[in-house]
Amino acid sequence: MLALVLRTLRYRTGGFIATLVSVFVGTAVMLACGGLMETGVRTVIPPQRLAAAPIVVAGNQSYDLPTVGHGEDAYHETATLSERVRLGEGLANTISGVPGVAHVVPDVSFHADVLADPGGSSVPGTQAGHSWVSAELAPYRLTEGVAPIREGEVVLDSATAGRIGAHAGSKADIAVHGGVRSYQVTGVADAGRRMAGDAVFFSPAEAGGLRPAAGQVDAFGVQLAPGADVTAVSAQIAAAVRDQHAVTLTGDARGSAEFARAAGDGELLIILAAVFGGLAAQVAMFVVASTLTLSVQQRRREVAMLRAIGATPRQLSRMITGESMIIGALGTALAIFPGMLLGDWLFGRLTGFGVIQPVLKFEQGFYPVVAAAIVGLGSAWGAAFVAARYAGRTRPVEAMRETAIPTRWLTPTRLWLGVSSLIGAVALAYLTITVVDGPLAASTAGPAVTLVATAVALFAPGLTKLLAGLLRRPIHALGGLPGYLASLNARARWMPMAGAVTPIMLATGLAIFMLYFQTTEVAVAEKQYSDSLLADAVVTSATGDLPPDLVAKVQQAPGVGGATAFVTSKGYNEKPSDPTQDEDGVDLTGVTADGIAQAWGSIVADGKLDALHGNTIALPADLAQRLGAGVGAKIVMRLGDGSDATLDVVATLRTTAASASALMPAETLAPHTAAGAADRILVMAKPGTGEADLLAALRGQVGGADGVQVAGREALTKAFVAEVQANAWVNYLIVGLLLVYAAISMVNTLVMATADRRREFGLQRLIGSTRGQVMRMMAVEAGIVAAIGVFLGTLVAASMLVPFSAAVSDSPVPSGPLWIYLVILGLAVVLTVVATCAPTWFTLRTRPSPSTLAPE
Amino acid sequence: MYQQDDTVEVVRLLSVRKAYGKNGAQVLALDNVTAGFARGTFTAVMGPSGSGKSTLLHCAAGLDKPTSGTVTLGGTDLSAMREIELTKLRRDRIGFVFQAFNLLPALDVEQNVTLPLRLAGRRADPAFVRRVIEQVGLGKRRHHRPAELSGGQQQRVAIARALVTHPEVIFADEPTGALDTRSAQEVLSLLREAKNASRQTIVMVTHDPVAASYADRVLFLADGRVVDELRQPNPEEVARRMTALVARTEQRSPEGPWLSELTR
Repeated sequence: MLALVLRTLRYRTGGFIATLVSVFVGTAVMLACGGLMETGVRTVIPPQRLAAAPIVVAGNQSYDLPTVGHGEDAYHETATLSERVRLGEGLANTISGVPGVAHVVPDVSFHADVLADPGGSSVPGTQAGHSWVSAELAPYRLTEGVAPIREGEVVLDSATAGRIGAHAGSKADIAVHGGVRSYQVTGVADAGRRMAGDAVFFSPAEAGGLRPAAGQVDAFGVQLAPGADVTAVSAQIAAAVRDQHAVTLTGDARGSAEFARAAGDGELLIILAAVFGGLAAQVAMFVVASTLTLSVQQRRREVAMLRAIGATPRQLSRMITGESMIIGALGTALAIFPGMLLGDWLFGRLTGFGVIQPVLKFEQGFYPVVAAAIVGLGSAWGAAFVAARYAGRTRPVEAMRETAIPTRWLTPTRLWLGVSSLIGAVALAYLTITVVDGPLAASTAGPAVTLVATAVALFAPGLTKLLAGLLRRPIHALGGLPGYLASLNARARWMPMAGAVTPIMLATGLAIFMLYFQTTEVAVAEKQYSDSLLADAVVTSATGDLPPDLVAKVQQAPGVGGATAFVTSKGYNEKPSDPTQDEDGVDLTGVTADGIAQAWGSIVADGKLDALHGNTIALPADLAQRLGAGVGAKIVMRLGDGSDATLDVVATLRTTAASASALMPAETLAPHTAAGAADRILVMAKPGTGEADLLAALRGQVGGADGVQVAGREALTKAFVAEVQANAWVNYLIVGLLLVYAAISMVNTLVMATADRRREFGLQRLIGSTRGQVMRMMAVEAGIVAAIGVFLGTLVAASMLVPFSAAVSDSPVPSGPLWIYLVILGLAVVLTVVATCAPTWFTLRTRPSPSTLAPE
Repeated sequence: MYQQDDTVEVVRLLSVRKAYGKNGAQVLALDNVTAGFARGTFTAVMGPSGSGKSTLLHCAAGLDKPTSGTVTLGGTDLSAMREIELTKLRRDRIGFVFQAFNLLPALDVEQNVTLPLRLAGRRADPAFVRRVIEQVGLGKRRHHRPAELSGGQQQRVAIARALVTHPEVIFADEPTGALDTRSAQEVLSLLREAKNASRQTIVMVTHDPVAASYADRVLFLADGRVVDELRQPNPEEVARRMTALVARTEQRSPEGPWLSELTR
């Protein structure tokens, strides 16, 4: 039997190429998504600036949420603290005392912005100042000049120096906490490799004063005595610092001390990979099944003959499964290398868009290959199952019939599968609209659309017959002879036509849905942001902190109704605890009470905002209710850097969908953030003051201050949209990849279906049709197929877009430019016509002869 | 019934009715047909289009189930069998030659010929297979693919395939329908030879009086009934009776069912 399968495959190479390509592309996309998934799951962040220290001791960023429930049901979640957990300087002595330690180097990062630098580090926020002492941890070595010793001296890394053209002896303006100062560049240092973050090294004496928290360091790099064993020493250090909220890191884990936020990127990667990998798997199942079924349908006579001469349905099923699995194995094997490249490329694009930090190490090992192989072989197996059912149903008598266009399509199984797909789609749609939000919405909405598409595909023969019937008259009337012939074909061949309509429906449906889903999400996010934006202007500072009197100064500017320092962080309710609290915690915003008391009065539900001084907090009303803590209560919060704070509740706030942040005094919150200070001031205009007047007044008032900039509402919204758009690009990218896949399958199917009509074209030529007439007839037919496919695709997309849009934006019409839709339509029609006419032309190249009519 | 001599009837149809379609628009393809096909005989089944001759073949070969009546093959009652048993029965006890699409294009002559044995999981006796292929005159083309053979040669491969399982009966459905006169003669002679040399039972549906004249007898069908029988036929007599038959049917339904189908 295997020999038979192999011979058939070798003989019918053409017919299997379509299936092979589908498996190949599907597996490659799957492998790429698997790579992203593995990268996310492992989240390996190799150290860069700390690479030369075999052991790094850093603050413990993980935090166990208060236990929920009692007895056996008790559990707690573990969260990652949002701000850097610092260690006391004195811990260096404890670590130095451990046998095997040669010396301990404290590492501190602080705000340092080289003003003339046009570029910037590849990871935003990692351009930082350090003490020259910690240069040995990378190690950075001087390529020119000398180390900084006195205040006012710096060494730049070679990347920064190269961008601003600085050398030993140049001057550079650098914004640090407290103001912009002019520094003497004493040297340039290089780590001998590309670094994700830029470094500015200050003299140890000056660095001590610039760090955000006196007496505290970010991490310790530990150098070992010759011959000391890393594992043994690190275990001893871990024991020595056990009670100090510290973790002892070795190997790639050291990177987490350097790039604390990159760990969150891992989660984003997992979500992305899961959403799109799942979708890719579904698309693969779909297209592999449809191409294989088409190839079996095209061999209907053969299948019927085999049934007649005694092949049992089981034998046919084994043969088709054999064919399919061989194609599946071949496609999977071929896809491994390109899939690896694709994954690498995709990861490069993700970091290029700034969505993922390039400090993550891309990992694509054994597991993605296994997952991709499961999808590749699984889709082949599933496809074989579908095709074999079809073959098994083929009645042997059909081998003896001349006209071979099947008309029976609505089997009970098909009906059952179609209806259950629809039910599944409705359930997922309901889930999307009611429960899921953010990036996860795509994870339920995507499969919902493919389920609708599956149902439509199952009912495609009936729908095609119906729509072709509707189109027949106008085309007959307008299309001349080719139109007449095409409309006759559409009438007789609706079953094979449905096979061509299906992939067009899938590709256009997915494209319309995915793209407008994105544009709608962006539009909704933009509207929510601008609705919730309480400020009319913002004053930012390049120094990373604000001159102490700046808020007061801004408040005095004409037209200003209120001004507040602004700093955000995240905390957790300790006592009383909130049973619904998860690892996302509570958003905290630090503000200046005097500045907002009046301007934000409208959001207060109870209490007074001007009481926000010292250890106080204003809670969103729903959170206050869950905690049972009204105005006057005392609550304990765990702040972002891991410290406890006992706070008086002075107000409760009306919450909106867009903002559910608790408010704290900026002076209380800021020291517990990584930066250590608020770096912006939100300004609210007095009623009746125009934006231009406000901005002019602000510039007049604060324009002279070091590194201070003023921006209006529009600039804020624009910056926000740019950020949202960057995330959207990632989705566009992967959606694009899937659409290319769907388009390839569509072209595949059409070419395959057209090439199968060689005899028919030959017959037409013999009875006197010119080549042009056949081509025109096929063009009209392709037009009919495209029209039906695009119409069904639009229906499929609309079935999810309309409820989704209605749920998030109060309008059933999705947001987004119309041209996207028109481009999709145009592409679908052009691809269909080309993919139909090209193989037609190809088969018409040779002169017609009776031999073309001979059975294959 | 028709064949009352002492030879055994290999295939027997008893009061076979076959109706197509639902209650409303029922078409009676076979109307109470009783016929027997004796061992070692070559029978041609003829009749105008729509007379039910193909349906008769399908029912006799276990490809289709009669609405009522019984079909027996070598004493086995087919009407009681399930599809899977029928499939195995076709594989082991029946040979088929169709008008076209007889062969798997991927396989060469020898592989096509041994296909039924493979499906049955039996090993082919190479000497016997070679003899059968030589018998149909394709000894030098054992490793050619169907695409490399003429239409007549392809039909001869199909005959070899039908012979290779030593079937109790071979059913041929218009085996010469797509062939030129000479190739048709070769194929028909082969069938007759098979009957003479190894007492092979053959039932052939045809509309060609010349083809029918190769048979021992001809059964004429009209409107689903056996209306006539001719033994030791010659082409002229067959043609005469066919013309009469067609005239009779057309008289009754002037347009004929196929014409109304076309103009609807």
